[in-house]
Amino acid sequence: MQIESRLLVEIRDRLARLDANSGNGWANGREEAAGAFESLGLPSTRSEAYKYTQMTKRVKDVLSLDNAGTLIDTTSAFTDVPGIHFSTVNGLLTESVAAGSLPKGLTVSSLSEAYAENRIALDDHLARAFDPDRDAFSSLAAASAEDGILIHVAAGVSIAQPVILHHDRVANSGLVQPRLLVVAEGDSSIKVIEHFGDSGSGSAFENRIVEMISATGASVDHLVVYERGREATFVNGLHVYQEERSHFATNTITLGGGMVRNNLHFLPDGEECETHLNGLYIAKGSMHVDNHTFVDHAKPNCESNELFKGIVTDKAVGVFNGKILVRQDAQKINAYQSSKSILLDRAASIYAKPELEIYADDVKCSHGATTGELDDDALFYLRARGIRPEAAKLMLLEAFARDVVDLVDVDAVKDYLYSRLHSILTETAS
Amino acid sequence: MLTINNLHVSIEEEQKEILKGLNLEVKPGEVHAIMGPNGSGKSTLASVLAGRDGYEVTEGSVTFDGEDLLELEADERAREGLFLAFQYPVELPGVSMANFLKQAVNSVREHRGQDVLSAGDFLKLMKEKAAIVSLDPSLKARAVNEGFSGGEKKRSEIFQLALLDPKLAILDETDSGLDIDALRIVADGVNGLRNENRSFVLITHYQRLLDYIVPDFVHVLVDGRIVLSGGKELALQLEEKGYDWIKDEQTQTA
Ligand SMILES: Nc1ncnc2c1ncn2[C@@H]1O[C@H](COP(=O)(O)OP(=O)(O)OP(=O)(O)O)[C@@H](O)[C@H]1O
Ligand SMILES: [Mg+2]
Repeated sequence: MQIESRLLVEIRDRLARLDANSGNGWANGREEAAGAFESLGLPSTRSEAYKYTQMTKRVKDVLSLDNAGTLIDTTSAFTDVPGIHFSTVNGLLTESVAAGSLPKGLTVSSLSEAYAENRIALDDHLARAFDPDRDAFSSLAAASAEDGILIHVAAGVSIAQPVILHHDRVANSGLVQPRLLVVAEGDSSIKVIEHFGDSGSGSAFENRIVEMISATGASVDHLVVYERGREATFVNGLHVYQEERSHFATNTITLGGGMVRNNLHFLPDGEECETHLNGLYIAKGSMHVDNHTFVDHAKPNCESNELFKGIVTDKAVGVFNGKILVRQDAQKINAYQSSKSILLDRAASIYAKPELEIYADDVKCSHGATTGELDDDALFYLRARGIRPEAAKLMLLEAFARDVVDLVDVDAVKDYLYSRLHSILTETAS
Repeated sequence: MLTINNLHVSIEEEQKEILKGLNLEVKPGEVHAIMGPNGSGKSTLASVLAGRDGYEVTEGSVTFDGEDLLELEADERAREGLFLAFQYPVELPGVSMANFLKQAVNSVREHRGQDVLSAGDFLKLMKEKAAIVSLDPSLKARAVNEGFSGGEKKRSEIFQLALLDPKLAILDETDSGLDIDALRIVADGVNGLRNENRSFVLITHYQRLLDYIVPDFVHVLVDGRIVLSGGKELALQLEEKGYDWIKDEQTQTA
């Protein structure tokens, strides 16, 4: 039997059980996503979007939604950073959040609880940022997710401290497919930080769907730090929807994992939106890290800024594909994209491709993709001052990578990342 | 201090010979000026001495303080006390001056068996040496050479020279790009660093620098060879007559 059919049997089986007692809209959304997954199928080796990233092969090794087995305890980080902390198991909250324990206007709860409570109109938000026909992995996750997390800020409320999700425990077998929904209502603001700790030799396979909505005049600031071990697989489907005058920033920092695919999708669907998408990855050993980004400029007078950097060494593979679409009516768009990678080893490889599709005439778009080795002139300059080659290399690599970390605005998290970069790159440079 | 004997150097990739049998002897405390037309090989000489990759020494030898210089890596040469002030200092975005200088100073000190400087002592040293070339203190808070003006880059090179306290300093056109006041300041800085143990090789196009930093010898480098050497008067002669008369003489004697 094909993998898709096997997974669909499992999904539909679960949905049938669910429907019997709830029949809610969320289940309908899951049906729809299952249908989309059925027609999309997992990407084949001929798929353009997954040409360099044979993710389907990894699914074959797992091939079950059943993740009830052993949990891996991963290494947490920045637990002492001032913020509103939550720990997750398989991407779900470990316990329900006591009423009154959060700042006014902030809701953090499981999706199922929020759905049952019906205080926040989830049907209006779910699947608004996400088009089930977009990507087979996201539709698989949307169809499979039994539950998820909701982070919601009420209109006009600013939450000063970041909400920090520590994805601490994860199943060692089966597909882990949670859903995360972040909604910032009109003129509100929130920061969300997610950390995926080191899973050592555990073989976690996470395929998640994240939807984020920044409503009119709202601001969402998002950071993902992924540090799972070399046996881990991650498909990170981020789907962002923005209303007019909203601000959205995300920074995706991949320092671990065996195979990682970030699918980052942005739809600024109102005028005067600002979108920042940044990322950094360091791929060593036999790691494979793929960042696919898509900014869909549908409305005029918006700005997007994209900076992705990668350091690839040993036999690792780095992939970057950055698509910017400016639709016909989207005049006066400023869209900037820059991807820079450093290749440190002949056996390592990088495939970087910007894709600009512009149908409006009054736009400013620029993109630049560079892939190269460390600059010889720069290395020589440092060595001519007595600095040893390893130290010189480290200085240049850190400088290269730090720019992206500089964009993180929580100091304690920034410091954590600087020190992680330092130790990872010290190993790389020597 | 430095003995260059019949040095032949080619560009590795192009098999093109740039230095074609160059001889030079620099004794401790001496200041040598090297002048010569564009493209004659002055920067190539500086690069080969400092240990930049991409050059092939096909013949000849270079001894530095009794050691075979060509056997050493670039960073070893610097730690041994050879300093190159670059004609075009490289911008290093993201590398802070403070970190760069600390690492440079400490690698050199460590090699000399000196203690690693404490943060306080390091700051004091920076302050003292920056004053030598009146370097704007705010530059130390920036990334290495990034956005420095032409003159600031050159001053920063001499500032680094002062910090690293080398035995031999090669200054590749440190005077170009400096305004008249800055030239004076930099020259005074260099003069202050002259002593009986430290030698200088000044590569320059302009006699004016040599009014301020008076050399013991002036050499003319044409087409990969030193074709004429003399005292400081030679620079004046070159200023007046250009290089053609030397080239003409060369072809006549050849
Ligand atoms: N990496 C290289 N590849 C090819 N040619 C080179 C390279 N480096 C130097 N050359 C050539 O060698 C010759 C000498 O160059 P060099 O920079 O040493 O001259 P210079 O005397 O310093 O000139 P200037 O006064 O203009 O600074 C020039 O013809 C130059 O083009
Ligand atoms: Mg030159």
